[in-house]
Amino acid sequence: MSTAAEPARPDLVRPELVCPAGTPAALKSAVEAGADCVYVGFRDETNARNFPGLNFSRKELDEGIAFAHAHGAKVLVAINTFPRAGQPELWHRAVDDAAAMGADALILADIGLVDYAARRHPQARLHLSVQAAASNPEAIRFYAERFGVQRVVLPRVLTVQEIAALNAKIRPVETEVFVFGGLCVMAEGRCALSSYATGQSPNVNGVCSPAAHVRYVEQAGGITSQLGGFTINRFGPGEPAGYPTLCKGRFVADGKASYLFEEPTSLNTLGMLPDLIRAGVTAFKIEGRQRGRAYVAAVVQAFRAGVDAVLAGRPVPDLDLDRITEGGRQTTGAYEKAWR
Amino acid sequence: MNASTLPVSPSFLTLGPVLFNWRPEALRDFYFRIADEADLDSVCVGEVVCSKRTPFFAPYLPEVIERLAAAGKEVVLSSLALIMSERELDQARDLAQGEGWLVEANDVSVAAMLAGKPFAVGPLVNVYNEGTLAYLQSLGAIRVCLPAELSAPVIGTIAKAAAAEIEVQAFGRLPLAISARCYAARARNLAKDGCQYVCADDPDGMPVDTLDDEPFLAVNGTQTMSYHYMDLLAELGMLRGLGVRRFRLWPQQADMVAVARLFRGVLAGTLEPEAAAAELAALCPGVEFANGYIHGREGHALVEADD
Amino acid sequence: MRQAGQAAPPFSPVLLLGLALEPVRPSLLQPVFDAMLNLVRRRHPDILERMAAYADAVICIDPTDLPFALLLEPDPAAPRLTVRRDVDPAEVSATVRGPLETLIALAEGRVDGDALFFSRQLVVEGDTEVVVALRNAVDGAGIDLLEDMATALGPFGRPVRAVAGAALGLLSRLRRDAETLRQAVIAPAVQGAEIQSARLTELEAEVKALRRAARPARTARGQTA
Repeated sequence: MSTAAEPARPDLVRPELVCPAGTPAALKSAVEAGADCVYVGFRDETNARNFPGLNFSRKELDEGIAFAHAHGAKVLVAINTFPRAGQPELWHRAVDDAAAMGADALILADIGLVDYAARRHPQARLHLSVQAAASNPEAIRFYAERFGVQRVVLPRVLTVQEIAALNAKIRPVETEVFVFGGLCVMAEGRCALSSYATGQSPNVNGVCSPAAHVRYVEQAGGITSQLGGFTINRFGPGEPAGYPTLCKGRFVADGKASYLFEEPTSLNTLGMLPDLIRAGVTAFKIEGRQRGRAYVAAVVQAFRAGVDAVLAGRPVPDLDLDRITEGGRQTTGAYEKAWR
Repeated sequence: MNASTLPVSPSFLTLGPVLFNWRPEALRDFYFRIADEADLDSVCVGEVVCSKRTPFFAPYLPEVIERLAAAGKEVVLSSLALIMSERELDQARDLAQGEGWLVEANDVSVAAMLAGKPFAVGPLVNVYNEGTLAYLQSLGAIRVCLPAELSAPVIGTIAKAAAAEIEVQAFGRLPLAISARCYAARARNLAKDGCQYVCADDPDGMPVDTLDDEPFLAVNGTQTMSYHYMDLLAELGMLRGLGVRRFRLWPQQADMVAVARLFRGVLAGTLEPEAAAAELAALCPGVEFANGYIHGREGHALVEADD
Repeated sequence: MRQAGQAAPPFSPVLLLGLALEPVRPSLLQPVFDAMLNLVRRRHPDILERMAAYADAVICIDPTDLPFALLLEPDPAAPRLTVRRDVDPAEVSATVRGPLETLIALAEGRVDGDALFFSRQLVVEGDTEVVVALRNAVDGAGIDLLEDMATALGPFGRPVRAVAGAALGLLSRLRRDAETLRQAVIAPAVQGAEIQSARLTELEAEVKALRRAARPARTARGQTA
């Protein structure tokens, strides 16, 4: 981590800031706060944030792309669930429409869908979603060489050192890494915990720990959060409460109750930006299409300032993002080996 | 489902790779007994979950493979599921370059290495639809074991479109997630690097309960599994009708020779599913069973057969 | 749902406001909320469009510092916003509860709903999905309630905005008092819940004991098949 002032760094590649938008209002907030790219999804099961009341109609996306382009920002469209067998049309139409609307890239996870996009829209820029969990050079080359995928969003399983080594091996394929937000502790796209408890999963339905299966039960002096009828956590009076995301619950194993998988915590790599930039990462992604405009504006501003500071050779400003992190806690996650 | 109405096309049983960290000698003896006594068509061997475990069983692997093959079992070599390091990649390359054995890819990178020759696709590769299946078939996939969370109609649609043999997980704890982090070590306040191989303490997985003591999941090192054992004895006939040719039994701390006999009996029509289910429960005392996914429900659900 | 507090909290403007509203029949306030709903419907049609999947839901919006709650029925064809003094939990799909100022800030997207919940300023009960949908729909609309009202009122809007803004500022300063009032008001209900919850705990303990007895021993039973 660099703390002392450094000279401006023309040697460093300026990473794109890729920011979430669940609604047109959030898209505007992100662009105005300094996003280079905004990523969005259609209002259906074709994307991994298929949350109630969220996402874009065709008309909204069309207008969103026009707005972003008018302000010099790109729009990336996530079509990153796995098409349901027998009904690929919904996913194919999403690919066709996004390409026709002039999306700057399609973010895909399913091999069959990547194949479809590459054949039907050879001009379209393809990104590999984190949901594809391509965690090594061999997997990344598979998507790059066979389908022309130009950028891979890395699963949140690698350390900064591993990312640097990976980048050296896969050039010119670009990498994008998550820098802030809700953290998956399992390899993304390879987790069926949610459907085990609720019948709905990220891969199939685009939802994890879906709200329809969530109950908060208020008891004397606290709240119990449940998912699919399973108790995920219990909070005392005044204790910060979290949404019952399955892998961030408190469970009993080996005779004791603990946050077995992960504490309710948010990824925050603000202090690590210099290392991630030096590792040769092309784009920094902020998680949170399901979060509100206020979140988007605050986080995008912070990371805009952070990235610009590193490129100017200045230290990363110490910005307080505590208020919008889960349970008020933060982690650098898998980027540091000790996390494992 | 009446046993006499079962379709007559042949069906096959695969013993999945042992996902747990069993002591090397115990694992060798397990496979010897499987080779000598179990009525199984194919047996998968190889470490899927954690590369740190690999060296311990490696010395026993040749004799295990030899014994299984000599007993007439098809031997399938299963790859790691989450490949991150250069060492793990090398291990996978060795596997892919080997001659004579069918290799099961549990990561896309391994499927890429195997492209151009016949290979199998394990349940930890995301094959959710006919499009992905078709692409993998074009690379050489001849057998695909589907992910756990698919329902019967979806399985049927995929099987109908398949040239490859479609396999479905039919018994045992379901692998639900894989991670870079080791939860067996974490539960004991150890780092993964200094894990002391504590996952070996739980040869059937470490039970994970809710705060209300409700059994929920099981931890196998970096892998998270279902607490419940999948049991599709009652659904075998229906799945065969949908074109599923092959069923996978996951090794658990149970008499797997006897378990295999029950599944074979139901498939052959010599054993009623209800009677087999009762025997299975007796073979796995205290175990809770589930079949929710196949019925389009939450995975832990147990849906009674309606005939 | 609410009763006059038996305890005697200190007198304060919010308490006086609460007491002043206490005898007011909700029906007298109803026209205000009808107007507000019409306004939002006209200026932000996309909110109801995003709620289309939840047309049959009834959402209770409960400002904890006011002596009434609002029932929202987001049916795009016939939306309703009804002011009520008493709400039976059985008649609503979900309840979102918090200080008025927080609820307004949330509606205007000035604060992050998740962050509010993480810090427990907001309580959600019942069908969480409906509340999440409403939050997302409202956040996506880019509402500014004061601006909306000012626009609706035309040239007379500006003073309204100033006055309303000042009132919100006042509310904000008085939130502490409001909490005192709330505690006093809900104390009897909490007591009732505690008795029920004690009985439940007993039952749960029995179930756990039974389940443990049925569980297989966890020690390894040897590793050969």
